[in-house]
Amino acid sequence: MALCEINNVTKTYGEGAAQVHAVKDVTLTIEAGEFTAFVGPSGSGKTTLLNQVGCLDKPTSGSISIDGVGTSGLGDKALSQVRGDKIGFIFQSYNLIPVLTAAENVELALTLAKESGGRARAVELLNEVGLEGLADRRPNQLSGGQQQRVAVARALVKRPALVIADEPTANLDSASGTQILNLMRELNAKHGVTFLFSTHDPMVMEHARRIVVLRDGEVIEDRAGGEAISVSNVGVAAVKA
Amino acid sequence: MYLLKLAFKNLLRAKRRALLSSAAIVLGVFYLIVGQSFIAGVDEGVIYGVVHGTTSHVTIRPADYPTEGMDHPVDELVEITPALRSWLDDNTTAWTARTMFVGTVTSDKESLRIRVIGYDPDTDPEVFSHATWTEPDPLPRGTDAGVMLTSGTAGLLGVEKGDSIVIEARTHKGAVNAISVPVAAVSRTGNFMFDNAAVFMPDALVTSFLRTQHPTHVSMRLTNRDNSSAVKEELTALGAGAWGLIDWWDDSKDLVEIGQIRRNALNVLVGIMMLMAAMAIANTILMAAHERTREIGTLRAMGMSKNGVLGLFLAEGSLLGLVAGTLGAVGGAALTWYLAQNPIDLNAMEGQAETIGNDVAYSAFIYVAFSVPIVVVPLVISILVALVASIYPARLASNMEPADAVRAE
Repeated sequence: MALCEINNVTKTYGEGAAQVHAVKDVTLTIEAGEFTAFVGPSGSGKTTLLNQVGCLDKPTSGSISIDGVGTSGLGDKALSQVRGDKIGFIFQSYNLIPVLTAAENVELALTLAKESGGRARAVELLNEVGLEGLADRRPNQLSGGQQQRVAVARALVKRPALVIADEPTANLDSASGTQILNLMRELNAKHGVTFLFSTHDPMVMEHARRIVVLRDGEVIEDRAGGEAISVSNVGVAAVKA
Repeated sequence: MYLLKLAFKNLLRAKRRALLSSAAIVLGVFYLIVGQSFIAGVDEGVIYGVVHGTTSHVTIRPADYPTEGMDHPVDELVEITPALRSWLDDNTTAWTARTMFVGTVTSDKESLRIRVIGYDPDTDPEVFSHATWTEPDPLPRGTDAGVMLTSGTAGLLGVEKGDSIVIEARTHKGAVNAISVPVAAVSRTGNFMFDNAAVFMPDALVTSFLRTQHPTHVSMRLTNRDNSSAVKEELTALGAGAWGLIDWWDDSKDLVEIGQIRRNALNVLVGIMMLMAAMAIANTILMAAHERTREIGTLRAMGMSKNGVLGLFLAEGSLLGLVAGTLGAVGGAALTWYLAQNPIDLNAMEGQAETIGNDVAYSAFIYVAFSVPIVVVPLVISILVALVASIYPARLASNMEPADAVRAE
């Protein structure tokens, strides 16, 4: 079942001679339960495409639907609601609210999604991502890996249809990065949550079940299916090009 | 509720900055409460001085009676007819007759031209409160008991209780008369008009001294002082134009209106302070919005709408106003409440009595007027000022593009 349909999406910035096509006529379908990576070099359009899918930005042309909801014509309030209800985000810099504890950060996602559960559900998720006993710590009292685990818990606590992770391991050492990826894979397998993430980290690509390679805003390769994908045969050359 | 909680936590993350930017509000609210209370207290002091010193709620005087200065003629008197007496008994809570005249008072050391107030010892305290008098009772009565000098007068004459003074004045018919009387009491009345220079003489002595059959003033207390205008109209009809009528407002409005000018000037000053506070708060919230760009993006990514971000920053600004306003209000209210219980005695201040002079029936005690509106209104204003000051930065924050904001450094 298609969870996310991206149809002929184009995103341009600027006008006239200064116009830049960040994403060019991309058409993709993301099925429910996928664990998909957008890969490509810097400036290839990964983040821009994730912004469109995550309703953080609107495409210049084309359409996107998330879980059956067309987002192209929606206003700010409706888009906010789609983000709150259907999408969880994991960012490269964790983006936790520094004045809130780990539990409060997670709980805030529930509050904004107008979901019940409160602190109990937040603590449950924190325990599930391996942060037992750390619920009342502020972000500055946690390591980078722990902060990213909080971010994962925050993204998942409202049971979203789609989790978007933008370079989730870029700020982590390899051990912590691996742990986060394993965690995401576990949660993907356990809860069937669809993960869509961007990376240019070969280690991350090894964990992906589907890799979409982007260059200059266009999809140049889309390899789906199978187990872990060999670094050598999936567009790494393209990524590194 | 979570917005308020988050806003409060955000405020606490930059305590010093919040404190500094809200200092103008703290001072403005404090200044406004104390200033307004003082001005209201001064207004009440003026009214108290008039009501309990000279005019009560309404006073009947002879027609064309002079209204200013040390001019108290006794050639025209107010006859208390049976009709007037009946009206007074029926329509007032208390009334009394006074005769005011100007005489020359001489002691062994000094001679002064001062105001003499002839009073009825039985009814005068019912109309003019003697609560602030240092020696209110018993007042001298009859023709032989003597007179009461106010403390300033006794000081100027260099006399004490038990000494004798000579009073010289013109009688009702214009002849010059003089009497030697003992000083039966020396008291401070708490009214500058009297305390600097006045003699209180029992009505029986006034009658024999001035050869008068009637008083110059008939003063009355009403159930409600605000009915004084209607009472004046009734008395005008009753007296058929033979009387000059004055009420507490006629006698105090000039000073109260000056108080209003002071109040307006204070409001302008506080307005300037609030404007400064508004700019400081706007700057604080603006800095917070810029510093927290990534957080704003994160909140937007988590589902917070533009209005939610707007509400968050407005809540932060309002909380800043509330906290600062509360600090100023608590300080102002505490000082005001204390001064309301412990009035400032201007007589105790060296030189104040001489400065104010003896033509103003002004209470020598400044009662600072403590009231809930005087405290609450500045507090509400401070919150509104902070709220309005936060609108621009809050709009700026809410209009940030989430895709850019979420990755801001």
